[in-house]
Amino acid sequence: MPVLEAVGVVKDYVDRGQVTTHALRGVDLAVEKGEFMAIAGPSGSGKSTLLNLLGALDLPTAGTIRVDGRDLASLGAPALADLRRDRIGFVFQAYNLIPVLSAMENAEYVLELRGVPAMERRRRVDELFARMGLAQLRDKRPPKMSGGQQQRVAVARAIACEPAVVLADEPTANLDQATGRSLVDLMHELNRERGVTFVFSTHDPMVLERAERVVRLVDGKVASDERRGAAAAQSA
Amino acid sequence: MRTLLRIAWRDLWRNRRRSLVNICAVGVGLFVVVFYGGLVHGIMSDAKNQLDNLGMGHVEVTAPGWRLRRNVSQSLENPAKLLASLRLPAGTQAGWRVATRALAASAHGSHGVVVHGVDPAVEPSLSAYAGDVRKGSRLATGDDRGVLLGDRFAETLHLDVGNKLRLMVQRADGEVGADLFRVRGVFHALSPTVGRGQVLITAAAAQRLAGLGDAGHQVVIQLDDAASASAVADSVRAQLGARPEVVTWADLMPALAAMEKMMGKLMTVVSLFVFLLVSLGIMNTMLMSVLERTREFGVMRAIGSRPRRVVALVLGEAFWIATLGVAAGLAAGLALTWLGSERPLMDFGKSMKSEAFEYAGSVMRTAFLTRFSPADGLRSAALVYVVTLLTALYPAWRVSRIAPAEALRAA
Repeated sequence: MPVLEAVGVVKDYVDRGQVTTHALRGVDLAVEKGEFMAIAGPSGSGKSTLLNLLGALDLPTAGTIRVDGRDLASLGAPALADLRRDRIGFVFQAYNLIPVLSAMENAEYVLELRGVPAMERRRRVDELFARMGLAQLRDKRPPKMSGGQQQRVAVARAIACEPAVVLADEPTANLDQATGRSLVDLMHELNRERGVTFVFSTHDPMVLERAERVVRLVDGKVASDERRGAAAAQSA
Repeated sequence: MRTLLRIAWRDLWRNRRRSLVNICAVGVGLFVVVFYGGLVHGIMSDAKNQLDNLGMGHVEVTAPGWRLRRNVSQSLENPAKLLASLRLPAGTQAGWRVATRALAASAHGSHGVVVHGVDPAVEPSLSAYAGDVRKGSRLATGDDRGVLLGDRFAETLHLDVGNKLRLMVQRADGEVGADLFRVRGVFHALSPTVGRGQVLITAAAAQRLAGLGDAGHQVVIQLDDAASASAVADSVRAQLGARPEVVTWADLMPALAAMEKMMGKLMTVVSLFVFLLVSLGIMNTMLMSVLERTREFGVMRAIGSRPRRVVALVLGEAFWIATLGVAAGLAAGLALTWLGSERPLMDFGKSMKSEAFEYAGSVMRTAFLTRFSPADGLRSAALVYVVTLLTALYPAWRVSRIAPAEALRAA
């Protein structure tokens, strides 16, 4: 069973009740466990919209989104929040850490939402920070960190609770080349070592060349779905 | 919960100036309500406590109809016995009097007065002025030839201690009664009316002068707390049966009772107005604050916070604003109210050229004392908490309703 599944997904935005923008025009997509996948396409092609829908942040105008086989249309706001908390990790283009919390507290946040006891939270995040080279940042708050540091903490927050999938919306867009490469290396390692499923939207060639599967969107439709390396072999 | 309160606390200080304005609004609002409440209650308590400066009781027992016509023959039979039979709350002061109008004459002229025939040992506990003798001495028990005068009356008739005063009254049998008394002392009365027109003699002398036998006119009961007057009056009525008339200070001074009600309503209106202003201010700034952070709340929602957690977070900020505002406002309000209860903060004595003035039949000091009541302050503080949290509900609800994707798109 796919971790994420989109079937005939259409998303329209109505601007001030008049102009309708067709962001997605019937997208079919299945994401399997352990994939390291990129959604590529030019600006306005619907990458972020698709990620939002796959991440249960928004609901489609038509079609079905399933997470672990559950149809999102059947869930209310609290149940969707629980689903995001338990099954999905997010990394945003603008990092979006909670500015009043330290790096440690940010990473612990979702674990706390899940009701993990404080000692256990601390132990897991300490371990993760050590693995990701973030130990020296643990007590720093986001405004005191560089963009690259914030994004690494954001990745730590996303994977701390071991979600079924991490959705990253243009994670390297605000980073310089070296920092972006280091971040993608980190995500790739986590994918290989821990089996964390990553789906990221990007138009960064450096990121695209590292992806094992690239789905290209053009004008709200899947234009191509290319698997590489191990993913291609597995698929074949 | 601890994390929420921690985030709320840190969020509070992200815009220090705005938060301080909110906290000050709550604090100043509460301070105004606490101090104003203390002042109003202080003035009203003072007015009620000044009943003894008018010779009135919190509860009085009289013959039916006496209160309206003050006819000397409308008397209570043996009021001393009646009083002895009453069961009254502990701490109550009670006594009886003869009260009649008289013409008082000295070598310098004559003047209409009210004669109170009293028990000299008890009267100072019923009438403040009976104990406030500024010249000469108090009336002694058994001194049936002595008289105490109000200071203004003494001035009017040029009387001094040792002078003679003739009192002429209508007796109970309709004849005219007259007797000669010697001035033993001059008392100071806060009420100009009492100071100008009242004299005190012993009850026995008054009974003899008015031909009353062992009868009297008033049983006067002074209570520790004027608020219990109605309950005590009911109890006295039940003990005495239907015949004597039992009245409370509110019956004797309906204008004072009406003023107390009016002050209560005014207090409510002022409190509501202040809290309304405070809540509008808080709503405005909190709305601005949460809408500025829409994206942040969107992130919280995106990573798994339920809408109610977002509501709780905004309410957490309101909780801190209320807590800090209440702490400051309550401390300042209670401190000033306590200070004002110890010594007057507002004294109009100089401008009014008097230590007291008469209003609505009562006498009030021109130096206003507040009433220090931590319980009243805590009630207002609780109201501030409720108002602040209710005010924050709207911004909290509004930001919790924004879809996560939409919130994340916010600038």
